Amino acid sequence: MPWIMLGLIVLTAFLLYFLIWASVNAQLQAVKNGTIPAPAGGTAQLEQTLRMIAPDRVAQFGVGLVSGLGSVMLIVFAASHVGTEFGWGTFRTLLAHGASRTGFLVAKAASLLLYAFVFIVVGTLAAIGASYAVSAVAGISVGSGVDVAEVTRAAVKAGYIFLPYMALALAIAVWSKSAGAGIAAGLVVYFAEGIVATLLVSLNKDYAEIVNWGLSRSVSAVTRAGSSAAVPDPTASTLPDPTRAAIVLAVYCVIFLVLAYWRLRSRDVTVGG
Amino acid sequence: MTGEVVLRTNGLVKRFGSITAVNGLDLEVRRGEVVGLLGPNGAGKSTTIGMVLGLIAPTAGSAEVLGRDVRVRREEALAGVGAMLEVTSFYPYLSGRDNLTGVALLRGGGALARVDPLLARLGLAQRGGSKFRTYSLGMRQRLGIASTLLSDPALVILDEPANGLDPAGQREIRELIRELAGENRGVLLASHLLHEVEQVCDRVLVIKKGKLIASGTIAEITRGGGSYFEIVVGDQTRAAQILRGLGVKEIRETPTGLDVVADPARGAELNRALASAGLYASAIVPRASSLEDVFMELTEPESPSASPAS
Repeated sequence: MPWIMLGLIVLTAFLLYFLIWASVNAQLQAVKNGTIPAPAGGTAQLEQTLRMIAPDRVAQFGVGLVSGLGSVMLIVFAASHVGTEFGWGTFRTLLAHGASRTGFLVAKAASLLLYAFVFIVVGTLAAIGASYAVSAVAGISVGSGVDVAEVTRAAVKAGYIFLPYMALALAIAVWSKSAGAGIAAGLVVYFAEGIVATLLVSLNKDYAEIVNWGLSRSVSAVTRAGSSAAVPDPTASTLPDPTRAAIVLAVYCVIFLVLAYWRLRSRDVTVGG
Repeated sequence: MTGEVVLRTNGLVKRFGSITAVNGLDLEVRRGEVVGLLGPNGAGKSTTIGMVLGLIAPTAGSAEVLGRDVRVRREEALAGVGAMLEVTSFYPYLSGRDNLTGVALLRGGGALARVDPLLARLGLAQRGGSKFRTYSLGMRQRLGIASTLLSDPALVILDEPANGLDPAGQREIRELIRELAGENRGVLLASHLLHEVEQVCDRVLVIKKGKLIASGTIAEITRGGGSYFEIVVGDQTRAAQILRGLGVKEIRETPTGLDVVADPARGAELNRALASAGLYASAIVPRASSLEDVFMELTEPESPSASPAS
């Protein structure tokens, strides 16, 4: 699974860059040929979309792409990484051979951290590669090229926002002894919490005081800190302070890991785990 | 019985809610002996093993391996234990050799150097490079047994090691178990295969509903190899009355007649008494009590003979 996921993020990065260029370019050609009418504001917006492919936009678009897909993939990976140990019964085998429960959890958390790092590095490099490759094919000027410092900052933030979701998936997998439950819970929180939070803030900005303590709003705040966002958010003005948001995410990580640890320590390990 | 005690449990109790799975269990395993742990399904064998390995926390009592309390010094205690659980589980995407290597890395010491010799000893040298998921049940059991020996343990715990093995494989495992005892290790063997236990164990512990109901050597458990007669006769009630008149105390009705515990020399006397009363037995067969007989007697649900530990 780890290799497959790395392969998938590389493939997806190239594919999406190519599809965006192919799709936008086809529309531009059609407008020029008069096959379809020009959009209300002319072709500027289409050309702006095409500009996302350029290497100088990798920090916003490319890393954003890796971050979005990566969150889902790493939730799946984190839950599987732990949950399969119970399903296969290998957790019980390891304990019977003298492994400690604390050591097991520390090893799992450390390997997930390492994998998240490798994933974001590989994903970001793939996005950079895809941007240069498709720009060359499309004849888009690379301009000043990739801003390494900006891309690194964006990648670090993307890697950081993976962590609470991975910790959540791990904790649920430990509690339920099931990879499936960890995946389901992680994905539900990832998608549903963000939607609910946005809807509540759209209804009444005062709700931001509450939902800003959640994961999704903290993730948005960290992601948008010091960078221009690829996707506009009408509720952006009510996002929490990025530093506070980063602390909130760290606290969530700690809470999820402590809950997993507490359950793992106190559980009788019968059949499976 | 002079070997060093490698495993001792003291009043081990485990309750799951209102169910008492293990109830005040005291047992000992010494170096150089093979101890059989017997009991019907749900008797508490696996729970006992789980507590010995620190997988399950006892409600009361303690388990000590080489004098170290498993709850207090688990890692140290388990350094001297090799355990194979009832369901042998390894990483399915790794080869048998890689799985053993993983366990060896966990064990440390000279365990890595034992991987290939153990694969060879358990007959897995040819398939060591194959993925675990491709292994047959018997091969999985062999790999499980190999993993128990990586740390050169003083105590080997085997839970149903012959599961899935063909008769030749079962025989090899029996020989291996005796070899382990010969290497001055203590072996705790939980098995449903009573003839296997009978052949390899020095002592047997029978547990039922979590309580030790009998313990001793095979000869002691089977009442010194006690004998009985299997009598095939029609009117069991009358036949039993007549035999009781001869001073026979232990009589059990069977579907075809009676099982009668009596001196083997009294066969003719029993036959004559029945014939004198007009009851002609179609067979009077002298039998020796097997472990299976005793086990069935001890563990049958309504058995009145289920007495406290001997």
